[in-house]
Amino acid sequence: MSEKERLTRRDFMSIAMWAIGGVIGAAFGIPAVAYIIGPAARKQEDQGWIRLGAASKVELGSPTLFKSKIEKQTGWITNEEELSVYVLTENGRNFTAMSNICTHLGCRVRWIADQEQFFCPCHNAAFAKNGDVVSGPPPRPLDQYQVKEEDGQLFVLGG
Amino acid sequence: MITKIANWFDERVGWKAVWETIFLRKIPKVNWLYTLGSATLFTAVNQAVTGILLTIYYVPTPDHAYDSVQYITTQIPMGWLIRGLHHWGASAMVILTVLHMLRVILLGAYKYPREVTWFTGVFLLLVVVGFGFTGYLLPWDQKAYWGSSVGTRIAGSTPVVGDWILRVMRGGPDLSAITLVRFFGVHVWVLPASLILLLGIHMYLVIKIGISAVPKREEE
Repeated sequence: MSEKERLTRRDFMSIAMWAIGGVIGAAFGIPAVAYIIGPAARKQEDQGWIRLGAASKVELGSPTLFKSKIEKQTGWITNEEELSVYVLTENGRNFTAMSNICTHLGCRVRWIADQEQFFCPCHNAAFAKNGDVVSGPPPRPLDQYQVKEEDGQLFVLGG
Repeated sequence: MITKIANWFDERVGWKAVWETIFLRKIPKVNWLYTLGSATLFTAVNQAVTGILLTIYYVPTPDHAYDSVQYITTQIPMGWLIRGLHHWGASAMVILTVLHMLRVILLGAYKYPREVTWFTGVFLLLVVVGFGFTGYLLPWDQKAYWGSSVGTRIAGSTPVVGDWILRVMRGGPDLSAITLVRFFGVHVWVLPASLILLLGIHMYLVIKIGISAVPKREEE
């Protein structure tokens, strides 16, 4: 290092090599990340209002299970899936629609009529009639759907 | 700081000597034709990276292969780019491999003491062609199907053992699901393993022996 630090030809080539290598690395790396996280970043398509069935089928004061078929697009495959919803009404006019998916780790809960509780077999969780947690590990009550009644038919808003 | 970390590692793993042997080795004064091997290596890395990415979505069965490829191309962000790089990179790799081979032949680089490097290179060429042949079927479109149908039939025209070769390649008399999966298995497991092994020997020898110089007229 005599006067200033002179950039030798060798140093210049070395820097240029690293720079070009970096550009090539980024040209692969950035698209690769977009490519991998693509499906995860995709917004779930809206299912719209899903018809459950006749509102008259709901027993007063007892959660009634409705099953409807929905079409789900996963990747390039369109699947028909079953959506299970428990509907509860105390007066025949106001309805609550609850998902049968346990809020703990996603197992399916079922209504045990003589115990007046929803029961999840995976980790012995119990939910009350209105979906509140009675015992077990779930962090929150059963998820609810937006529900409406039209011409005696029940609909939930799927998403 | 960086120098300190680098030295800490070097003291324990000795990477600097390895680095110098591979990247800072002395080479004779040569011309640009001598970069064809490195260019081929670059396309090989490109094929490996993009190929691994493609397997994240690609499904090698007749009912999903075409749709999954279309999904990659049209739905996945940058999917068109990844597939395009793999598609065009394949052609580039075959062309560069052949050009590299021509340079080695025409400039006499295959001679003593580099015969073994040449032998591994011959097998590497076969591996590259094998990659091209098996990869061609995987998109499972009309071109792929009939291309591989014709390709396996050409192999089947071998005297005496031809029919047997055709059946082994197709996994039966017809081009079927079995053909697709075995082409896929060969394309992503058998050939890459062979490539890594052969390329390892090839590169070891290139570094160990050093590259050949441009041939000169004998001076009397």
